[in-house]
Amino acid sequence: MTILTLENIHKTFKNGDVEEEILKGISLSLKQGEITALTGASGSGKSTLLTIAAGLQPPTSGHIYFESHDLAELKPDQIRHIRASQFGFVFQFAHLVPFLTVEEQLIFMLDVSDSKQNKQQRAAEIKRLLELVDMEHRRTAYPASLSGGEKQRIAIARAMVHQPTILFADEPTASLDSKRSKEVMTLMRNLTKELGITTLMVTHDQDTMAYADHMIEMKDGCLSQPV
Amino acid sequence: MNLGWKEIKRNKIRFVILGSIVFLVSLLTFMISGLANGLSQDNAALIKNLPDGTLYLEAEAEGNYSFSSIDSEFQEDLLAMSDEVTAFSIQMGFVDDQDDKQHSVAFVTSTASDDFAHADHGEVILDQSLKEDGIAVGDILTNQQFDGELEVVGFVEESKFSHAPVAYINIQDYQDMYRTESLQILYTPEEQAAINTEHLQAYSPAEFLNTIPSYQAEQLSLNMIIWFLVVISGMLFGIFFYMMNVQKIGLYGILKAVGVKTSALFKMIWLQMLLITIIALAFSISLSHLFNLFAPAGMPFHLTAITTIQLSVIFLIIGFAGATISGFQIKKAEPLQAIQQGES
Ligand SMILES: Nc1ncnc2c1ncn2[C@@H]1O[C@H](COP(=O)(O)OP(=O)(O)OP(=O)(O)O)[C@@H](O)[C@H]1O
Ligand SMILES: [Mg+2]
Repeated sequence: MTILTLENIHKTFKNGDVEEEILKGISLSLKQGEITALTGASGSGKSTLLTIAAGLQPPTSGHIYFESHDLAELKPDQIRHIRASQFGFVFQFAHLVPFLTVEEQLIFMLDVSDSKQNKQQRAAEIKRLLELVDMEHRRTAYPASLSGGEKQRIAIARAMVHQPTILFADEPTASLDSKRSKEVMTLMRNLTKELGITTLMVTHDQDTMAYADHMIEMKDGCLSQPV
Repeated sequence: MNLGWKEIKRNKIRFVILGSIVFLVSLLTFMISGLANGLSQDNAALIKNLPDGTLYLEAEAEGNYSFSSIDSEFQEDLLAMSDEVTAFSIQMGFVDDQDDKQHSVAFVTSTASDDFAHADHGEVILDQSLKEDGIAVGDILTNQQFDGELEVVGFVEESKFSHAPVAYINIQDYQDMYRTESLQILYTPEEQAAINTEHLQAYSPAEFLNTIPSYQAEQLSLNMIIWFLVVISGMLFGIFFYMMNVQKIGLYGILKAVGVKTSALFKMIWLQMLLITIIALAFSISLSHLFNLFAPAGMPFHLTAITTIQLSVIFLIIGFAGATISGFQIKKAEPLQAIQQGES
């Protein structure tokens, strides 16, 4: 089943008088529960494509079909609501809220996503995720006292605690060494499979690509092999 | 979950510092305001405590009550027509007590009126501040321009003029003392129809206060200090939240990316501002009112509940404005940039 479909996405940036077309008519679709890896040279437009797919910036033209909506047509607040409730995000850095404990990071995300769960359900869900990322024992710690890998594991838990439909990850392991990076990728793969979450992930790293179900390469603003 | 509160809890020192600065500034504002009001009472309680109404001076006096002289016949006609009209006079002078000690006073005399104390011939009623100078009921006071004697028959509260205690004397004694038949000022309460004649110039009590030379100068400078402090406190909030927001701009971007509403972020800083201001005000209000209770009797300090409430509301409004203006940083926070940037 197709979860998200990009159709003929163009993106042009203006740098002063010069217009540069970064995305030249990209189409692709994400299938339920699968991990799609997006690779390509630096500056090829991977992050641009990911953020357009996630509704973080509008395309110059084209459509982003998600459920019954075209994100290109929705108002900013409608897109925000979809991001909060249906999407999860993991970035190169964990970007945790510095004044919240590990546990509170997840509670906060549930608040943001307008989760309808009651208190007990929430507590159970948070406990389960913290166990899955093996961070139960640091429940009450603040981000400042966590290592880079630990932070990233919390960021992954935060991105999934509200059971999003799609997980968007932009170089989630770039700030980690290769051992940590493997751990985090194994974790991400296990979690998305277990929770049935569809993933779009940008990565440079050959090792990381091994965890994906599909690979797409970007070149000169196009996909080098249509999927 | 309440982000604003969590941040305060985690960064206590930062917020305590802001809170204590707001506390000090607002305390200073309350103190100066108490002082301004106290001085104003000290300078003009006689006029300020009159019920709302109108004061009239002779037009030729050009706003200086001591040059004013109401025509006696005109005054008699007027008083015969309405018993609401009062004529009175104020003269700065001295009384000598039984130990030959001199006290400066403002002699006041008036036609029959509920708003002025009435002394019979040979008697004087004093403002109670003279009690502290050792004057008591039954004492005999003298005056160099006056052959007779004045017996103290009572004291009244809060009756001062030009920083001197008021001494109410009988019209007859006043006329002997200052060798004049006429009085200076006419006063009518609010309900009374206006007196229309080109010989007289009408003043509201506030306008009349400004004809007292020292009054305007005093109040103007104190009020200026108060407003400066209020503006400073607003800027404090603005600058503080601006600095905090600049540090957090990356965080705001990330929060927006994951779907937090901009309005939720504004609510967060508003809540912080409110909490800090209310706690700081609670401390400064209690302290300044405590001072109001225990201030030395000779110190002109008078802080009213209304002034306190007004200033507090102004502090809240200005804190709100400062926090909101600095909050435009939040609006500017870009989710995209924040994502690309490294860990803050
Ligand atoms: N807001 C913008 N304004 C102008 N140019 C932009 C903007 N965003 C991206 N670009 C340009 O678009 C191109 C693609 O950027 P993008 O970040 O998508 O690349 P990327 O494939 O993610 O690279 P990397 O692997 O280094 O992260 C770059 O040349 C970049 O300079
Ligand atoms: Mg990128």
